[in-house]
Amino acid sequence: MAATPEASGASGRAAATHLLVRAGEFVCALPLGAVRRVLRALPLYPLPGSAPELKGLAEFAGDPLPVLDLARLARAPQGANPAYPVTVVAWAGPPEARELVGLAADAALEVAHLPAAAVVGGDGALVAGETVVGGQVVRVIDLQALGKAS
Amino acid sequence: VSAFLLLRRGGATWAVAQPEVRGLARRDGAFEVTVAAGALTADEVLGVATGLRLLPAGAVLRRFWPEAAHGLGVHGVLPLVLIDPLSPPRSLLAGAPDRPRGGGAARKEEGEE
Repeated sequence: MAATPEASGASGRAAATHLLVRAGEFVCALPLGAVRRVLRALPLYPLPGSAPELKGLAEFAGDPLPVLDLARLARAPQGANPAYPVTVVAWAGPPEARELVGLAADAALEVAHLPAAAVVGGDGALVAGETVVGGQVVRVIDLQALGKAS
Repeated sequence: VSAFLLLRRGGATWAVAQPEVRGLARRDGAFEVTVAAGALTADEVLGVATGLRLLPAGAVLRRFWPEAAHGLGVHGVLPLVLIDPLSPPRSLLAGAPDRPRGGGAARKEEGEE
């Protein structure tokens, strides 16, 4: 059965709804449907030999959680005081193999509607593109691409 | 496997399935744990844990951490990595003294959870 225009419009709007997060000197947009929780920074235990993007493992709801540096993923310059007081817990990877990850960030800002047509560019990897919200450039992060080999 | 030796090294917590532990000794203020791949160095031995719920390492972790792991778990509030005794993380091997296998007074100890 074909979707009604109302239904497809609603799902499209849901897909376009993002959580804006400050990461270093950039504002990043995370698909709101993928965000499970926003927490004060979780205690981190670094894994020796990891890539700089991986800040370490944390414990979340009794399970191990890899925590990534959102600013590095977005290729954002580090802010003046990169303390990462916030951890965003979100689903990453393709729908058939999604997994929870933590994203260390500076602040959760607001929820915004970002129509796909307004998102341009992208690096073919983790940054799906850029758009402008309130006069500020926002990098849209593709969390589904996070589980793919770089 | 129901029991795991828990170690601290490099700020992280590591687990070794107990049947894979071939020896445990103190050496120069640290601990040396012998597994199939050789001697591992640990800063601290936390004890033996039972009933760990282990999950496979996901694609995100594998992408950003190029080591083999048999699984991930949590002990108390400490996230941990279950090492592959045939291919342990290099950071665990790095500090191990270079000496012939079988030397020293390796022995097996069990701590309390």
